[in-house]
Amino acid sequence: MKRFKNLFSLSFRGIRQFLFSSLIASLSIAMAGGLFLSTWKIKEGAQNSFRHSSSGFDGVLGARGSKLQLILNAIFHLEASPGNLDWEQYELIKNSPGVKSAYPLAVGDNYMGFRIVGTTPSLLTEHEWQEDKRYELNPGGRVFSESNKEAVVGSFVSSRLGLKVGDIFHPYHGLTFNESSKHDDIYVVVGILSATGTPADKVIWVPIKGIQHMDGHASEYANSVSAVLVKLKGIAVGMELSMKYNRQGNQATLAWPIAPTLANFFKRLVWFEEILKAIAYLIALMSSLIILATLRNSMNERKREFAILRCLGAGRSFVTQVVLGQSLIIAVVGALGSFLIYFLTSSLASYFIRKETGVMLEAITLDLNSWYVFLSIIFLGLVSGIPPAISAYRVDISENLQHTT
Amino acid sequence: MSLLRVKQLKKSFSSPEGENINVVDVDNFELAASEFCGMRGESGSGKTTFLHLLAGILSPDDGLIELEGKNTVQMNNSEKDSLRAGTIGYVFQSFNLLQGFSCLENLKLAMSFGSNYNESFAEDLLIKVGLAHRLSHKPSQLSIGQQQRVALARALVNKPKLILADEPTGNLDSKNAINSINLLCELCQETDTALLLVSHDERVVSNFDRQVDWNEINNTDSKG
Repeated sequence: MKRFKNLFSLSFRGIRQFLFSSLIASLSIAMAGGLFLSTWKIKEGAQNSFRHSSSGFDGVLGARGSKLQLILNAIFHLEASPGNLDWEQYELIKNSPGVKSAYPLAVGDNYMGFRIVGTTPSLLTEHEWQEDKRYELNPGGRVFSESNKEAVVGSFVSSRLGLKVGDIFHPYHGLTFNESSKHDDIYVVVGILSATGTPADKVIWVPIKGIQHMDGHASEYANSVSAVLVKLKGIAVGMELSMKYNRQGNQATLAWPIAPTLANFFKRLVWFEEILKAIAYLIALMSSLIILATLRNSMNERKREFAILRCLGAGRSFVTQVVLGQSLIIAVVGALGSFLIYFLTSSLASYFIRKETGVMLEAITLDLNSWYVFLSIIFLGLVSGIPPAISAYRVDISENLQHTT
Repeated sequence: MSLLRVKQLKKSFSSPEGENINVVDVDNFELAASEFCGMRGESGSGKTTFLHLLAGILSPDDGLIELEGKNTVQMNNSEKDSLRAGTIGYVFQSFNLLQGFSCLENLKLAMSFGSNYNESFAEDLLIKVGLAHRLSHKPSQLSIGQQQRVALARALVNKPKLILADEPTGNLDSKNAINSINLLCELCQETDTALLLVSHDERVVSNFDRQVDWNEINNTDSKG
């Protein structure tokens, strides 16, 4: 125990002696580990969260075009709508056998940059966005009525804009906020949605007629929808409808099923992930070189100290362990720092993903793989300490003690 | 029976020009248990090399070093480490205290390499050398004379059989030098420890009953 205590204090002394370069070494390790963990875990979390954030829908019917664009626009409220569909298309799919429910969506306006989405009240009262979970309103609120200029505000929008029941607002034309494109219509907030962690949190829901007949909108808006969200009774129905719309028809596209389309989207981002990983590996390499340089400098200064220790009876293995202990301390501090960086970047990523998509990232967790990363960082630190440790092992006692006679 | 016996001990080094320089060539040297010996010799004449050979810090080219009847030349590194940790205490001219550690920690660190860890003994030793009020002081906070006393206490902390003192008064003024030698002898006497002290200073060596002239026992050509 005493030997261990001495070992630790001698290692720690080495750190204190070269505090700045030791901190730089730890910081670079922390950056490498943090970047690696963030890239990996945020991607994993985002993929899972997006996969589970289809808001309970099986497919999206929209104008002819990209399925991904349809999903991003109708489910995640991102990107522009690929075009409009006639109201009859909505009626048609709604009444198709095998379609459990269908909800029309109309987009094209915003308030302070948050999308205004027109739909039917039933989406907010009947639809299950997750098994056995319907949208709920905060106390004191209600769902808009189909024929009034009323709005239900998503929880994220409410918290950002401070909107509450009874507030009024003017919609602005377009999907991005532009002060000069204010509509004359005035909407009253009648309800605030409870948080769901889905894209529904970051939009303002209004009756579809409101969008269709908004002051200043072209007359063709009155009889069209941007997309239709559908819930099907089974896979067979999906296959049949997909065949009907995507292969045989030429007026609309059915984005079904949603999960594989999103998975393909994430696959397209693999190059970005690979670049981040490559950067992480480069930083890791750099940090191990910094540890090596720090310990080598420290070794040059401490050779006499090690010679004294050897003269007092310390074995070669003891002084070797002192140097390895020094690299271990640097690595442990770096590994802890990498988790801190990971938590910080995850929290930031979580905030921005929520802000942009409404999707709540899965809770930041440390699974077994995270601990493997932790151990790998420590292993890297120890490996970097081996060359200077060998030099400590070989320290020439006689040469490094002062000769006097 | 001798505590230390040296026979036909030789050590040479290569000069930068590639020339072989004999530094130590001692036919015979013995030191009895509890015996004190002062060895005088000029600077650069190989006395430190001789002490390093005795302590197992250097390996001889040839010869025999017997300590308590054991041939230390044939010992492996680990056995030599144990020898320095337990049987031999070493006192340097420049004290070689570890600067980041307090007086007491310097002793405790040395003690941790030996087999009998006893904190109160370390404290007692420091009290004995007059540093009761300086236990937690770092070497840089002590005077030169006080640092030397810590170095003496550290050399004795593992209750060695032999103290090798290499110019222990080299950095001290004459008053402190005499005090230091008296203290060292007193401590060695109390603990039945043999002492081999080398110095170029006649005044230091003349305090010893047994005095050896390094040039007389070392047969190399270069006598300093």
